[in-house]
Amino acid sequence: MPRLLLAFTIFFALVMSAAIPARADQTVWSGLVIAQNVQQPEPIPIELTRIERPLKELFGYNQFQVIGQSQKTLKTGQEDWLATSKFFGLHVDARGESAAGYVLNLKLYKEKELLLETDAKLSKRSPLIIKGPQVGGGQLLLVLVVQ
Amino acid sequence: MKTFEEKWTAWLDGQLSGKELVEFEASLPDKAAAEAEKRDAKKLGVLLKRELGADVLRNEEFFSHQLRERLARESVEPPRKQAAEVSTWWTIRRLFWTGTVSLALFLVFAVFVMREKNPAEQSQYLTQILNARVDPAISPNATISMFEAKENHVTVLWTEGLQSLPSDYAAK
Repeated sequence: MPRLLLAFTIFFALVMSAAIPARADQTVWSGLVIAQNVQQPEPIPIELTRIERPLKELFGYNQFQVIGQSQKTLKTGQEDWLATSKFFGLHVDARGESAAGYVLNLKLYKEKELLLETDAKLSKRSPLIIKGPQVGGGQLLLVLVVQ
Repeated sequence: MKTFEEKWTAWLDGQLSGKELVEFEASLPDKAAAEAEKRDAKKLGVLLKRELGADVLRNEEFFSHQLRERLARESVEPPRKQAAEVSTWWTIRRLFWTGTVSLALFLVFAVFVMREKNPAEQSQYLTQILNARVDPAISPNATISMFEAKENHVTVLWTEGLQSLPSDYAAK
């Protein structure tokens, strides 16, 4: 009888642990990316391999270079950070966490000029890509991924 | 040599004869009382034979009688046995385990139903763009659109007409 009771308790615990997902700190990678078409493209940066196919299909470029990036581990969901290149800055302000992901306020600066502002709910399963201004023959892209 | 008791029993049964009978009867102190006792003993023997003899069963009859009784008992017993089994099935212990197993099954189904439900809700797990704006003073002709590439689980904010910049701005 006690053995059966123990077996039932273990079974109950396993079922409940399967039902309730464990929470852990998440890391958000944010990057400033220059997309270009070149004759001999460099391999895609490792941070972008997950979204290589949609990047190439949607924007039509064959090379993607990271010119600025930031990796932030979110603990409270209220953090803010900056990803910068020589001329651009992407300010990310996390404004809370929900079951679906993080609420973020994004601001793209060219030096001190605010070019673009957006609010988004960044899902843990779904990257966000923002098409920025044309830069020379290429395109500035902003990419946010929950790792 | 026979004792008096042996001769007395034999006399009562009428098994004494000849000289032995004469000598025994002569030795009796009260022959009339002895004769009366002999008659009573005979009457008792006849009575016992009549009354008890009818109930005495021979071996074959005794066993067949027992068999018949047993068969009759068994033909009546099965329903009783079934009733007894049914009544003993729902003991406290079995009720407890039935409840436990039911609860376990419920949990298993609940978990699987919850898990099945998640894929349907996955669309809301795509990144959502709540709003977007550009500075009209810097990019007066800019337009903004957004879409979700669901097959790639990617959300895109698409801008057109933002201020174009020279290639120097691509520097790290």
